[in-house]
Amino acid sequence: MQDQLTALVARATADLAALNARPEFEAAKARYVGPNGELTALMKQMGSVPKEQRPAVGRLINEAKARLQAQLDAALARIAAAELAAQLGPAVDVTLPSPDAGPGTRHPLTLVREEMCRILRKVGFAVADGPEVETEYYCFDALNTPSDHPARDAQDTFYFPASTRFGNVSKMNPEEKYLLRTHTSSVQIRTMLKGPPPIRIVSPGRVYRRDTTDATHSANFHQLECLYVDQHVTVRDLKALLDYIFASLLGPDTKTRFRPHYFGYTEPSFEVDLTANHLPKVKKDWIEIGGCGMVDPAVFEAVGYDPERWSGYAFGMGLERLAMLLYGIDDIRYFYQNDLRFLKQFA
Amino acid sequence: MKISLNWLRDYVQLDASVEEITRAITFLGFEVEGVAHTGAPPLANVVVGEILTRAKHPNADKLSVCTVDVGPAGGVKTIVCGANNCDAGRRVLVALPGAILPGNFEIKQSKIRGQLSDGMMCSPDEIGMGSDHAGLLILDGQPAPGTPINAALPAGDTVFDLEITPNRPDCLSHLGIARELAAWYKLPLLYPQEKFRGVIDESVANALRPDLLAGVRVDAPEDCPLYTALIVTGIKIGPSPAWMQNRLMAVGLRPINNVVDVGNYVMLETGQPLHAFDAHTLGGNQIVVRRAADGEKITTLDGKERALNSGMLVIADASRPVVIAGIMGGENSGVSEDTTDLVLECAFFKPQSIRWTARKLGLHSDSSHRFERGVDPHSSLEAACRAVDLIIETAGGSAAGPAYRLGGDVPWKREIVVTHGYICEKIGFEIPEADMRAAFESLELTVTREEPTGQRGTAWTVDIPSWRDDLDRPIDLVEEVLRLYGTERIPAALVSSPGLSGDDDPVVLFERRVTEYLVGHDFHECVTCTLRPAREVLTWTSQAAAAELALANPFVEDQSHLRPTLITGLLESLKLNQSRGVPAARLCEVGRIFVEQNGQNFECAAVGFIIADPMGDRAWLKREPADFYATRHHVCALAAAAGVDIAGEVLKPVTEQYFGWQEGHAACAGEMALGWTARFGLLNLAMVNALGVEGKVYGGIFAILPAKLTGAATRRRFSDFGLFPAALRDLALVVDRTTPAADVQQALAKAARAAAGNAFAVESVSLFDVYTGAGLPDGKKSLAFALVFRSTDRTLTDDEVSVAFQRIQDELSKNFPCQIRK
Repeated sequence: MQDQLTALVARATADLAALNARPEFEAAKARYVGPNGELTALMKQMGSVPKEQRPAVGRLINEAKARLQAQLDAALARIAAAELAAQLGPAVDVTLPSPDAGPGTRHPLTLVREEMCRILRKVGFAVADGPEVETEYYCFDALNTPSDHPARDAQDTFYFPASTRFGNVSKMNPEEKYLLRTHTSSVQIRTMLKGPPPIRIVSPGRVYRRDTTDATHSANFHQLECLYVDQHVTVRDLKALLDYIFASLLGPDTKTRFRPHYFGYTEPSFEVDLTANHLPKVKKDWIEIGGCGMVDPAVFEAVGYDPERWSGYAFGMGLERLAMLLYGIDDIRYFYQNDLRFLKQFA
Repeated sequence: MKISLNWLRDYVQLDASVEEITRAITFLGFEVEGVAHTGAPPLANVVVGEILTRAKHPNADKLSVCTVDVGPAGGVKTIVCGANNCDAGRRVLVALPGAILPGNFEIKQSKIRGQLSDGMMCSPDEIGMGSDHAGLLILDGQPAPGTPINAALPAGDTVFDLEITPNRPDCLSHLGIARELAAWYKLPLLYPQEKFRGVIDESVANALRPDLLAGVRVDAPEDCPLYTALIVTGIKIGPSPAWMQNRLMAVGLRPINNVVDVGNYVMLETGQPLHAFDAHTLGGNQIVVRRAADGEKITTLDGKERALNSGMLVIADASRPVVIAGIMGGENSGVSEDTTDLVLECAFFKPQSIRWTARKLGLHSDSSHRFERGVDPHSSLEAACRAVDLIIETAGGSAAGPAYRLGGDVPWKREIVVTHGYICEKIGFEIPEADMRAAFESLELTVTREEPTGQRGTAWTVDIPSWRDDLDRPIDLVEEVLRLYGTERIPAALVSSPGLSGDDDPVVLFERRVTEYLVGHDFHECVTCTLRPAREVLTWTSQAAAAELALANPFVEDQSHLRPTLITGLLESLKLNQSRGVPAARLCEVGRIFVEQNGQNFECAAVGFIIADPMGDRAWLKREPADFYATRHHVCALAAAAGVDIAGEVLKPVTEQYFGWQEGHAACAGEMALGWTARFGLLNLAMVNALGVEGKVYGGIFAILPAKLTGAATRRRFSDFGLFPAALRDLALVVDRTTPAADVQQALAKAARAAAGNAFAVESVSLFDVYTGAGLPDGKKSLAFALVFRSTDRTLTDDEVSVAFQRIQDELSKNFPCQIRK
């Protein structure tokens, strides 16, 4: 019996070591430990073993059974591992590049616009929107622009023929002409006409000037304007806003200054300069970044606000100019060419 | 405009440095676009030297060794020089050891290539006189060696180039800027003294010299409210004095002769343009201020013939126009070398009239620039008298009075009442009353009344001078106070934020969502021009629609129309990348497009994208190329961002009327009547090829009227999906190959819902296989659907599902043109 068991285990060990697939394994398993298996057959002989030898034989059988099971387990583990390996295939070269293009990128003008909106949102400005096709009223008249002001000239502003109609751009007067807005201030007018103060909006958007395209000019470009209307709004509040915006955007070493200037829709009016030591093109120089002022009483009258009761400020700037400053871009045309080598630099 | 510092000093005693004055002008509100210096700056230890000998440097080909006599104090110096023009006998400027030249460059005794050099001979740029570095500055007139530079050269000047804002025509003059600086520095303003005070007789008939000027008539008083003509006789034309020439040249004007120069000088001094006629050229000895006749012609001083029209104001003699009023004189009536008797015009023309004419003719002059912005009619006579005075001083002659003076000189009177409290409330901080009052007075805004108001402090009645037409309301005085107080002194503060006043506009929210989606799907966001060329727009819309999108006044031909789509701009960007050898596959843009419908344009918020084969197809691991269904997937997602469910809409294949899209390979949904449109699929291959873009390009665009975008989406209710197991059945239907799958799916889903009734739910009917070929008749296809049935309250039995499944098949066999594929 002992010899038979030893021989069986030895044969099974050799046998199982050669197995590579699950069906063969299952067959081998049945051959040894199945109901008709060899070990099972030996175990059935226990009945014919003399009583006094039974404990010893039983021990021998148990030992053999345990060793056989260990061999089976090992073989199964080996086969399962081989199966997994086959499923996985060869190891990848993790240093090979992905053939997928990407990642996608947001345009630098979007990045700058969104950053400005985020900064302004923190102090209560909501983003407003309005049409790019405008009328003379919203773009000029309501903004206290005299009827023969040079900005309204066909030399500087794109107009549409008198017969052109826009189904979803409202006119104030039936005879006024449609045009492409020259600034996003028209959004301020539409917003103020919609409801009473207080108003705290930022209006970013595309604007149009009839201008030669060169390194610093483009027929369409982007602006961002802020408007705040409430009671007791002061010049000092305006300066505080500008200080806050540019310190948030460019860091605490940024300084702003106001230079008195002239705009028809604000009084007093200022141009805003900034200086920030760490910006490559700015250093200690003052760079003009935008215009601002206190909303002119004439504008309030145009939208039906009482100028005795309400006061407000407005600030506007060019987004391309700001992006050029922030990123050190020296030609505005890069923004509209969309060369991927450009677009991928900023996201 | 250019402003000379020397000239300014005639009217205000400025001691401040150029840097300080630049700063003062800046904060007064005039942008300083440039500061130029003429003449030599003050320099010590730079003297006149005479080159005695010149020899070649022993150790350097391009250098010379010169001996230079620098006068009794310095003796003869040996100086190494690199310039070519250091010939013996020339007088030059020598910087002696110890001199500090501009740029903080100190001159020391030194050895140059082994040769001792005891100073430096200077080129113009080395002593701050321009940028000429070509050679030494050679002195004319043999000044004595040893003469200090500032004695040898005329004194320099500083010229500011200023941007004058359109509200301040009074500052288009030296006197105007001087007034501002006098206010800033709290110094008195010194007016030029006029000597001439000819008797001004209102009666035209009393002219004493009808042989020179018999009459003046103003036929267009609405354009010319005031016209003055003075006569100066017996003058002699010649060059103007050097001091006047120097000033004119400093500010960029070319001296012509004494009379013309005086006219320019007085304009630059006072801001009042003047015009001088040779009295003998005026036909009929008449001056008529009238509108031109249509087609009337004049040859202006610049030699160009100009056709006039009846909107334009001219100064004419009895028969022909001699001046385009306020803009430019004609060559037939100007002052010439032989002129002896003058008529001097000093007028006020309506700014609108001058502006219109100058634009129309494309003709701009120093005179028109001032008239367009508005000159002060109330001080014009003083300017004329000043000019007569200077003409007599420089050209001799005498004034032959009286002057012709036509038009009403409406007396000027304007007062503004403003309180201390009002100004403080607008600026947000305190400025003492005394400072405010001083600011008014320094600008010659005379305070005529002062009374306490209690809470709002003193109320001032401020008398506005005639040249400050821009000051009209109390708010205008706030700016004057703040300017003189100094905008740099506005105290810092924290932003006061009372909280959010509203939500971001729905359009903005939509744009943000779709940008994030596309960038998240590896697209590169582009910004392309809204204005497109006609030929491109016609590849995208009908002729009629393109006509509606055209601008009235395009600036350049290839930017003449509003864009009807975003795709063309993206294709242009794709092509640019391809032509530069930059692999580009996925581009997108978010922006406005303009859709024409029934003769009306609609401005839409839009998002578009294109997917191209990346160039070259060189990849170590191949990927499946893009296809129609990828574009459909993206457009559905983009529409969902606007709250539009395209999947639930009927998709139509495009036909040839959908420009730009490839028939049979693209789809569309929506229309302007619904407020939105979507197009997606393969871009028209012929169009893409014609653009020079390589390979197939897929794309998609979704556009929506801004008004259709609403802020908050309606809140959804939870619907129970059931945890009991689902019952699954597959069903394949054979239909005509042209039958849209959506029709089959719809019929199947309807039949399934009917069969299930209220007993259980049809959770989904989804297509999972499309088959054509062997085993099917020609022209047929098989569509296989998976049906999922489920109950929320029990496990479905096989029997009940089988009964329903059979019913579905029966229903379809009977009522839908299909066969059940077994």
